[in-house]
Amino acid sequence: MSRVRFMTLGLLSSLLLPTTVTAQEMMEDTTARKQALTTWGVQFEEFEYRYSDADEELGVWNADIFYGTDELRFRWLTKGEYEIQEQAYESLENQLVAQTPISKFFDAKAGVRFDTPEGPDRTYAVLGLTGLAPQWFEVDASLYVSNEGDTSAEFDAEYELLLTNRLILSAALDATVAFSEDREIGQGKGLSSTETGLRLSYDLIDRAFAPYVGVVHERKYGDTADLAEAGGGSTEDWFAVIGARIAF
Amino acid sequence: MNASAFLVAAAAMTMSATVFAAGAHSGGHGGGSGEPGKASEVSRTINVEMHDNYYEPESIEVNPGETVRFVVVNKGNLVHEFNIGTPDMHEAHQEEMMMMVEHGVIQGGTLNHDMMEMDMGDGHSMKHDDPNSVLLEPGKSKEIVWKFSEQGNIEFACNVPGHYQAGMYGDVNFN
Amino acid sequence: MKKSFLAGLAALLMPAFVLAGEYNLTVDRVQIDTGDFVKEGIGYNGESPGPVLRFKQGEEVTINVTNNLDEMTSIHWHGLILPYQQDGVPGISFPGIQPGETFTYRFPIQQAGTYWFHSHSGFQEPDGAYGAIVIEPEGREPFRYDREYVVQLTDKHPHSGDRIMRNLKMMPDYYNRQQQTVGEFFSDASEHGFMNTLKDRMAWGGMRMMKADVEDLQGFTALINGKGPDQNWTGIFEPGERIRLRFINSSAMTYFDIRIPGLNMTVVQADGNNVQPVNVDEFRIGVAETYDVIVRPRDEQAYTIFAESMGRSGFARATLAPEEGMEGAVPELREPARLTMADMAGMHGMDHGSMDMSSSGDMPSMDHSGMAQMDHSSMSGMDHSAMMMTEGGASDPFYAKGSGIVPVAANGGKFLSYADLRAQNPLYEDREPTREIELKLTGNMERYTWSINGVKYEDADPIRLQYGERVRFKFVNETMMTHPMHLHGMWSILDVGADQWNPIKHTISVQPGTTVYMETEVDEPGQWAFHCHLSYHAAAGMFRKVIVEGGPDSTQAKTDAVAGNGGEA
Repeated sequence: MSRVRFMTLGLLSSLLLPTTVTAQEMMEDTTARKQALTTWGVQFEEFEYRYSDADEELGVWNADIFYGTDELRFRWLTKGEYEIQEQAYESLENQLVAQTPISKFFDAKAGVRFDTPEGPDRTYAVLGLTGLAPQWFEVDASLYVSNEGDTSAEFDAEYELLLTNRLILSAALDATVAFSEDREIGQGKGLSSTETGLRLSYDLIDRAFAPYVGVVHERKYGDTADLAEAGGGSTEDWFAVIGARIAF
Repeated sequence: MNASAFLVAAAAMTMSATVFAAGAHSGGHGGGSGEPGKASEVSRTINVEMHDNYYEPESIEVNPGETVRFVVVNKGNLVHEFNIGTPDMHEAHQEEMMMMVEHGVIQGGTLNHDMMEMDMGDGHSMKHDDPNSVLLEPGKSKEIVWKFSEQGNIEFACNVPGHYQAGMYGDVNFN
Repeated sequence: MKKSFLAGLAALLMPAFVLAGEYNLTVDRVQIDTGDFVKEGIGYNGESPGPVLRFKQGEEVTINVTNNLDEMTSIHWHGLILPYQQDGVPGISFPGIQPGETFTYRFPIQQAGTYWFHSHSGFQEPDGAYGAIVIEPEGREPFRYDREYVVQLTDKHPHSGDRIMRNLKMMPDYYNRQQQTVGEFFSDASEHGFMNTLKDRMAWGGMRMMKADVEDLQGFTALINGKGPDQNWTGIFEPGERIRLRFINSSAMTYFDIRIPGLNMTVVQADGNNVQPVNVDEFRIGVAETYDVIVRPRDEQAYTIFAESMGRSGFARATLAPEEGMEGAVPELREPARLTMADMAGMHGMDHGSMDMSSSGDMPSMDHSGMAQMDHSSMSGMDHSAMMMTEGGASDPFYAKGSGIVPVAANGGKFLSYADLRAQNPLYEDREPTREIELKLTGNMERYTWSINGVKYEDADPIRLQYGERVRFKFVNETMMTHPMHLHGMWSILDVGADQWNPIKHTISVQPGTTVYMETEVDEPGQWAFHCHLSYHAAAGMFRKVIVEGGPDSTQAKTDAVAGNGGEA
């Protein structure tokens, strides 16, 4: 009953104040809200100084810069190892990939990878899968085909153990398998190398700046190890690392 | 809306096997506020309207020891009570009324009369038959004859849960 | 009833006596000082929160809003019934207010109660663009009080809304600092056994869900009327007075559990509509909801208004005191809540039976109607477990059975449940709905995507309603988060199983793993927003446009426009 009264009053007032009700067409929503949300981010999983058991000093980074929507993200994945005494890049790798969801927790990605370290360069086509596996393992698997026609695969996994909500122990494993030999860049067939890292970090400023210390173990296997030895390099290294995870 | 509430109330009334009884016997509740009065000693009649959730009037004047007939009518859409007592008595009574709500005796605009008659197992029932109060469904009216005590801090109040706290009470001022 | 009809007639016969008021608001860049940090934000008339707008029912208001920002803005009058062009949602009601422009809102005030207003553009609301609305009724209130205070809560964050959204998209747990740790594993293991704890962690890890995912956004300083806990907003009273506290939750993301140790609260209004009074010790206020309570402090002492966030990551605090400067004790935060498997019951592919959810959990209204029947039956049919439902406590029909986030009063007393809410004076005749519309609340925490029926706003068609129908909305929460669903322009009649006494709200919280029904009388033409009121959920896509087809506007508006043009010429 009181409702009826309200409506009457409403009609009445619209007659009194005609400007409130214009015969405007019901508009289409063309605001940003109706567009796909674009977002960006920069994450340095590793930004560190490494000191090896053979007195080798390295500056190392591993970063992910992305831009895009839920459906399509463009990522620039960059990582490198800089030999401080030799003033040379032991490795330098840049990937540009486009990424799209294919299941609830996984994305497919495709793009190109440019390796431009000291020594021969390589360009690869990349096809990969990245996402969150059960039990909170962040995994990333990529298949590469180089401009020399060699194929290889890389598998990354990372797990974070929360000692407290800010003190975090993270374990990372990176393994590379080659399906054919590329002697020029020192890669043998089969399981060629692994890098295992254990880092203890503390979230100092939000999740934007988290300094850490840790150990990293690098090892080369099989023909790759033989090629390294033949070149006078080491096949197994232990590093003490100090650095920071950075995100903005 | 009103009509349907009335129908529900009416249905509840007709189905009820018992007669709502108030002032039938003197309970232990009258204590500090006075006692049930005799009709022959009534000096005047005060009409009290119960609305959602307030009284009209919101205060009354009485003479010490005066016997007053209250004609209480529920003009709201909810069940209300008219209860004469001290603030402490009201507070104690509110717990009983809370139980009545929890057991479904009071449901918004209706009273479940069957439930009120039921034995609660410990010799108590939820009849709500104290002589200092009436509990009324919407549209219903009832009388109380009350002989006030000589003095005291007395309020009339509705102790349906929340109603007193929301302000459904009135002051009894002694002349 | 007759009275109101007569009043209606009187209003018809005496249009000349319509009240009119003019108000001015400027939208400004302001400094917000929470006591913990100072942050640039957005406010009204130079402050955040903005002024309390006080209207009278029946008044014709004119509100001039001047945009002093260098970006578009808008003001939405949350909970007000008005012509859709005045509703203030850019892209749906109007184009928005350009920098430097003054937009004039004009609408009749058709209702009374406590409401609020906020920007509906970008993340201006979390950045500080909000204020309170208090509307005095035409008649008398169904309750009494000696004084009143607006108690407006928000969760002010040191990061801007844009940055928060970006961080959540980058790392969905960016702001969650209550995750389960190694330490919690061992303390759980000593309590429940190592294998049980391991199994529990494996079950959650298998789903890639976090038990700790109660609040997306932590790290805020909760404010009351713009004051942080240390700044201690204080309301003065004389002992024995009744005080009406108008609680408004203007948070971007945060639910609060509110109590005033030492005082009972009587809830008399929810979302601006009077409810039958309920005495409580504590209540939970969802984002965008309002609750009016009456308290009566009798002693000459300070009382603390304590509002803990639902996830217990922060609190707002204010004081009621006989004089300025007095302080009451400030309680400790309780332990963070943890979700249970029951809260996951709404997720696809879950086996409801295995979790003993088959008989209940997702149908609060059914549970409750079952209880009403019980009430009419004989004593032998009484069941004390069912009685607990009205008592709130550890079981609440509006939470999944066995839920980990059912609120419990800190003093062991009464915690308000939706099931306790009854309209004081129903606005509408109770009638059968014309149809039911199911809205699944969906999302993916790991991607921070939120949607309705699995479709984000950007990809969604509008929901079309017919003027004059009564629609029953069925919300099925398939996520593990609570969503405060807000339909603009028309009332949301929450089904608590009380038929004509069902409470009338504008925002309805749907708990994880539950199904909640609301009905809407489609009595306002035009187009309206309908969304989750968590700012970052709405922005991520849990949002719809509702189009009301037919009704007086389609023909009436043109007539009015012609009349209007004629009038101006």
